Amino acid sequence: MSDTPRRITLAEWDARYAELRAAGLTEPDYGGPLRRHVAEGDVRLLKLRMDNSAASLRLWNFLLSEEDRLRGAVAAGKQLVGTMKDLGTVPVMVYSFRDLVAFYPDGAWWLPCLLEGGGELMAIADSLGIDDSYCPVRAMLGAFVNKKRFPIPGLLTCSVGATCDDFSAIAQRVESLGFPVFWWEIPHRRPPEPGEPAVELPGGFHAPAEQVAFVKSELARVLAALETYAGERLSQEQLATGIARTNQARMALGALRQIAYTAEPCPMPALEMLVVEMLAIHFCSDHNETLQVLAELLEEVRRRVRARVGVLEADAVRVFWVNPVADLRAMNLLEDTGGRICGSDYLFCHALDHIPTDLPPLEALARMALADPMAGSPAERARRIGADVRRFGAEAVVISRIPGASHCAMEGTVIADVLRTETPVPVVQIEVPPVTDSVEPTLRTRIEALVESVREARGRSSLGKEVG
Amino acid sequence: MKTIAYCSPFVPPEWIAAHGLRPQWLRRSAATGRMATAVGRGICPYAGALIDAALAGLGAAALVLATTCDQMRYAAAVVEIRAWHGRRAGDVDAHGQEPAATKDRCPVFLLNVPSMWQTAAVRELYHSELRRLGRFLTGLGGSAPEDAELAGLMLDYDRARGNVYEAAAHLSGRQFAEALAELRGAPFDVLNSRGLTAPGKTVRNTAAVPLAIVGGPLLEPDYELFDLAEHSGGRVVLDATEGGERTMPRRFDPARVAADPVAELADAYFDGITDVFRRPNTGFYEWLGRQLSTRSVRGIIFRRFAWCDLWHAELQRLRQWTRLPVLDIDAGPDDTAAARRTEGRIEAFLEMLA
Repeated sequence: MSDTPRRITLAEWDARYAELRAAGLTEPDYGGPLRRHVAEGDVRLLKLRMDNSAASLRLWNFLLSEEDRLRGAVAAGKQLVGTMKDLGTVPVMVYSFRDLVAFYPDGAWWLPCLLEGGGELMAIADSLGIDDSYCPVRAMLGAFVNKKRFPIPGLLTCSVGATCDDFSAIAQRVESLGFPVFWWEIPHRRPPEPGEPAVELPGGFHAPAEQVAFVKSELARVLAALETYAGERLSQEQLATGIARTNQARMALGALRQIAYTAEPCPMPALEMLVVEMLAIHFCSDHNETLQVLAELLEEVRRRVRARVGVLEADAVRVFWVNPVADLRAMNLLEDTGGRICGSDYLFCHALDHIPTDLPPLEALARMALADPMAGSPAERARRIGADVRRFGAEAVVISRIPGASHCAMEGTVIADVLRTETPVPVVQIEVPPVTDSVEPTLRTRIEALVESVREARGRSSLGKEVG
Repeated sequence: MKTIAYCSPFVPPEWIAAHGLRPQWLRRSAATGRMATAVGRGICPYAGALIDAALAGLGAAALVLATTCDQMRYAAAVVEIRAWHGRRAGDVDAHGQEPAATKDRCPVFLLNVPSMWQTAAVRELYHSELRRLGRFLTGLGGSAPEDAELAGLMLDYDRARGNVYEAAAHLSGRQFAEALAELRGAPFDVLNSRGLTAPGKTVRNTAAVPLAIVGGPLLEPDYELFDLAEHSGGRVVLDATEGGERTMPRRFDPARVAADPVAELADAYFDGITDVFRRPNTGFYEWLGRQLSTRSVRGIIFRRFAWCDLWHAELQRLRQWTRLPVLDIDAGPDDTAAARRTEGRIEAFLEMLA
C-alpha cells in the first residue's frame, strides 16, 4: 500500500478505503467509506479531490456525520444548544456543562454546496421570502422548517449587533416561525478614545474596557440561560476547565496551521485545512472527538514533513485566502492552477487565538468575543490580514466573496484597499457561488492569471539577482 | 457655525444643536460616482449614494453614521479608508469631477446603536454612545451644553414636531414627509416657511385611498412616490419609512426634560423608534398595527433597496401578518425605466384598491 500523499477523487477513495481497511485501519463509530455520504445526498463529494490519508478520512467522516451524531447525542440524553451567529464563544460555555452539546445551525450554509443546489431547503427559504439574494446560510431556514437535517435544539442563542444582516434577518425569520431565540448583543468594536481605559484583545486588537464589560454582562446573561436550560449551576472552575480544553484544541490547530501553511512541499491540501479550521467554531458538535481528529492530522503532517513529501509541487504559489468559500471545490481549483494556501482568514481567526487563562473566565470570553474581526472595522481586519500575509510570506491574496452576503461587497473593497497600500502582493477579489460549475472557467482564469503574475514576478526577481 | 451631517434617526439633532453645531439630515440622490457600478455587486444603493457623496465632499465638519445595518457600518469604513489613502482612480462626483482633496474630507463618527432593546445594559450602551458623540462634537469645536440649554432646545424641537403632526390632516403625504425631514435639521416653523399654514393650502384629498409607505431610507427622487400615489387616486396617510414619522422620537415628558434632559433625550429616541433591525423586532409590528388601524389604511407600499436584507426579509412576513394588499417596490441602480415601471405598478395597485 502506497502512503504517498495525494489528492484523490471519491472513486479513488473507494479503493483507498479498502486498502486502509486491509492494512488494519481502525475507525471511530462514525467511520466508514466516504461513498456512503453521496448516497445520503452529499453529491458534491463526487467533484472534489480529497487528501488520501487516514487522518483526512476521519476528518471527512467527522464532518459529514454531524447530523447523525447529534441525533445520537439526543438519544443519549444530551441537550442541544443551537449557537447561532457565534464563531466560537458560547460553545466554550456550553461544553463546560456535563450534558450540553453545542451545535452551529449556521453550518447549513454548506448544504447548497454539498447537495449541489439545496433542493427542498432552498425552496422552503424561497417560499418564506428569503431568496437567492441572501447568502447560502438561508438553507438553515429550510432545515428548521422541514426538520429533516438536524434535531431542533431546545435552546437557541444568537448574537446580534455587529453581525451580518443576512443572518440577523434569517434568525429573526426563524424566531417568527415559532423557534424562540435567546438574543445577545455584540457591539461594534470601536477604537478606544485617547485616555480611555482599554484592553488588548486576543489577536492584538484593542477595545475600550467599557465594551469588554458590556460583552461580559451579555455573556453572563447567556450563562444564566444555559444554567436554567441545563438545570445545573456552572462554577468558575468548570468554566475555566472548559476554556483550558478549548485552548488545547486551539493549540493543536495552531500547530497544524503553522506546519501546513509553511512547510514545503505543502503537506496538507487547502480543502482539508479549510474544514479543519471550521472545527474551531463549535468542535463539530463533539469537543473530545475534535481533539482526536486534530491529533491524527497533526501526526500525519509531521510525518509528511519528516519524509519531505507533500500533496503539491514545491514551487506552488503561496496564496493567502480571505473568507470561506461557499463551494468547497474552489480550494481544489486553487491548487489545480498551481497555488497553495499559506495563510487564511476564514472569518473567525479570533476562534484560533489562545483564550487568556489569567483572567476571570467570563472576562476572558468577553475579550475573545469582541476580538471577532467581523465585529470591528474591516480596516482593522485588513491590517491583521496584512500582518499574517507578511508572517506567512504570502505572494498573493485572494478575497473570496460570498454571494448575497451583505457585508462582503464593501468589506472586500476595504480589505483590498488596505492590503494594496500596506503590502506589495497582488490582491484579487472573486465571488464563489455554492456550486461553481457554471462559472468555473472564469474563476480558473482569474486564479491562473494571479498565479502566473506571481511566477513572472519571481522570474524577474531571480533575473535581477543574477544580473546584480 | 459648523455643520454635522447625519442620516440615522437614532442621532438626535437636539444633541448636535445643543453643542452649538448645525445638524444636517442628509437627503441624497442616487450614487453617480464609483459606487454606482458597485450597486450591481451587492452594495445597497442608499449606502453607495452616501459613500459617493461623502467622498465628493459634503461640506460638513463631520459625518455621523450608525450601526443599524452592516452596510452602513462598512460604509463608515469605506469613507474613512478612502479618505485616509486618498482618492482612487474612478472616484468622481455627480458632475464627473474628481472629488475634493483628502484634507477637505470630514471625519466619520460611527454611533453604536444596539439591536436589542429589552435590557438595562443595552439602554445604557446607547446613553453612553450619546455621551461619546458629545465628546466628539466638543472635539470639533462644539461646546458641551448646560442642562437648561439642552432642555430648551428639546422643547423647541418637540413643539415644532407637534405642530407638524397637528397639521398632518391638511398636508399631502409628501408635504408631511418633507416637513418632518426638515425638522431633523433646525427646530423652525417649517409649516410657515413652506407656506402651508393658510386654510387655502389644504391639499389632502380625503376621498382618496389611504395608503401607508413602509420601508427603509428614501433617496431624494424617492419622494416622487408620494406624488405618484396621490396622482393615481391614493394618499399616503402613514409614512413608515426611515425618514418618516416611524423614526421620530416619542414626545418628550416636560417633567423629565426638566429633571434630566440627557436621560429623557436618550430614552425618547431609544424607546420611541421602532425598526426592523431590532431583535426581536416585535415592536415594529406592534407600532405598525396600531397606526394602520387608527388611520384606516387600505394598502401598503413597501419600499426597499436591493441588497437590504433586513427589509427584504420582512416583506413576506408583513404579507402574512397583515390582511392588507402590499405592493413591493424594490429599488436597484437608478434608471428611468425603473421609475416608469414603478409609476405603472402604483397605478395598477390603486386601480385594484379603488
